[in-house]
Amino acid sequence: MSFLVEQLLNALALAGLLFLVSAGLSLVFGILRVVNFAHGVFYMLGAYLGFTAMAVSGQFWLSLLVVPPVVGVIGGLLERSTLRFIYRRPPIYQLLLTFGLALILEETVRVLYGPTAKPVDAPALLQGAVPILDTLYPRYRLFLVVAVGVGVRLFLARTRAGLVIRAVAQNSEMADCLGANVPRVRTLVFGAACALAGLGGVASAPMTTAYLGMGIGVIVDAFVVVVIGGLGSIGGSMAGSLIVGAAQTWGAFYLPETAMVIMYAVMGAILIFRPWGLFGEEE
Amino acid sequence: MKRREFLKSAVVSGGASLTVPAFLRRAYAQNAIKIGMPTVLSGGNAQYGIQAKRAAELFAKDVKARGGVLGRPVEFLYEDTASDPATAVRKAQKLVEKDGVKLLTGVVLSSEALAISAKCPEWKVLFMSTINGAGALTAKSFNRNFFRINTSGPMGARAVSLYLAEAPMKRFFALGSDYAWGRDSVGSFSKQIAAVKKHVVGKEFPPVGTKDFASYIAKIKQSKAEGCFLVLPGQDATIFLKQAHQFGLTREVKPIMEILELENMKAVGDAMAGTIGSSRYPFTVDTPRNRDFVTRFHALHNVYPDMFDGETYEGLEWLTQVIRKAGTADDIEKITEAWEDSTYEGLEGTFTMRKCDHQAVQPGFVVEAVKDPKYPHLIPKILATYPGDRVTPKCRTEEFA
Repeated sequence: MSFLVEQLLNALALAGLLFLVSAGLSLVFGILRVVNFAHGVFYMLGAYLGFTAMAVSGQFWLSLLVVPPVVGVIGGLLERSTLRFIYRRPPIYQLLLTFGLALILEETVRVLYGPTAKPVDAPALLQGAVPILDTLYPRYRLFLVVAVGVGVRLFLARTRAGLVIRAVAQNSEMADCLGANVPRVRTLVFGAACALAGLGGVASAPMTTAYLGMGIGVIVDAFVVVVIGGLGSIGGSMAGSLIVGAAQTWGAFYLPETAMVIMYAVMGAILIFRPWGLFGEEE
Repeated sequence: MKRREFLKSAVVSGGASLTVPAFLRRAYAQNAIKIGMPTVLSGGNAQYGIQAKRAAELFAKDVKARGGVLGRPVEFLYEDTASDPATAVRKAQKLVEKDGVKLLTGVVLSSEALAISAKCPEWKVLFMSTINGAGALTAKSFNRNFFRINTSGPMGARAVSLYLAEAPMKRFFALGSDYAWGRDSVGSFSKQIAAVKKHVVGKEFPPVGTKDFASYIAKIKQSKAEGCFLVLPGQDATIFLKQAHQFGLTREVKPIMEILELENMKAVGDAMAGTIGSSRYPFTVDTPRNRDFVTRFHALHNVYPDMFDGETYEGLEWLTQVIRKAGTADDIEKITEAWEDSTYEGLEGTFTMRKCDHQAVQPGFVVEAVKDPKYPHLIPKILATYPGDRVTPKCRTEEFA
């Protein structure tokens, strides 16, 4: 019994992190129609900047608050200075550009921080483990489950900003029609998506450390999440994250040799039978 | 004088005065002994390429101070393979064919090493491994142009097994990355543990790049093992150890790593204290030669040398010793003959190059990550040292006597 609870919590914690990354990816595609290969790098950037913020201030909560907007601004500036000029070109241009940005940012981080992974400690309050039934469970993971599961849901469901994000994600044409300054909205959306990824990065660092390549690793999972959930759908990202989180956690336990295959099998099935994803709209 | 001519002459004279005259520069370059390093300088494995490069930089400084080798300067040429075997072969070929390199080293991944080694007889160059662990390089895939200075993966697993045979722990779990190195080492470990009447109670092979080890940690907990043998590459090991500590696993189960690196100790921090494992080169070895090396290395790079810093430096030193003995840096056959059965006083002891499979016989170490207020991070404390003949496999095999 305790074992089932433990595995469930593991799946939820992983799903929470995946959601923070894939939601932004989905948002950018829904509104900008760009598949952003650089998205994972903003996740990595969040983790590294979180490390710096911790080193400077010693405050985890402060870094959780400050780093995402900083990553958002960096993302917004990059959109403004590069992507904005090629929206009219065929999608391959945007793909190549974001891929190039990913490589440049990753190497920049390597030059600035060096190749060694950077440790980030959880705040004192969340260190160590708590007994759950008859096993020990890390406090930090519990925090992730609660913070992302409850916090993000409340944010999306109850706040005005959340409402706007959901509305725009669902129907970007409508946003255009409403007379919004489209280039500006694009920059803001791109920045907001990067900030979300940055938040995921800061939050994941105490679990995984900040390391080179973490962006590439997460982007693959995030793509699977988005394909399963449906591009452009926030609810879909949530569902997709839960499915991928569960598939990886339970798969690694019961069918370790095929854990990765399960995830891709689900994705393959979705692509065949419901190519627009569980929550996406048929186009 | 027209404006364009003036500019041209200004550029030419400016360029010339900045450096030595062109004809001298060319003579110097032709005369230099070139060592090619198709290594990893970008991406997640760059930490290993950087170690090779750091060692080469210190070595180049030493050689310069001593007036070169056979009166010739040594020049290092670096190429980034980006961890891809096909790219590694292409870059190595470029070094050989375009730059005229006869000596290759600094290759990071065993997969790259296997691909490059296979080409060396055809290119007529020598390949000196200072990093690559795969047993096959000196067994199934051996060729005469390949030399391995470093302790191999099976040798590391062997040292750990010898240590565990005498330790009180009886039940082990083995966790190896799902590729050649992880699977080979776990296999070799299982065999040797069974030979001393102890048990491997579970085995798992997580994919490379796993970022959440929670399920594996749950399994290890359930297995009631006393020790967990880990064969995970740098970053994966860091993440595993960090999470195992958070789950409280490391209080019940002793982590035992096939290689215990400084990189991990820096990244995981104090949570890793108490972890044991083999080390190919622990910088804490107390020999006069090593103390001197560590001091000089730290003075140049402001960090303590990790495993491949030490192993690469030793390789380069041995290589030049052999070149002096052979009296040539260009005749591959003469260098090979001079190297076979030769000995070298390394940083941590005496090395002998076995003629039959070109594996350097050297001491094996088991170390523990411990806190020491003198250092900014955990350091490897030597628990046991095994003589070379006990940790080196039988010739051209991965089996032990």
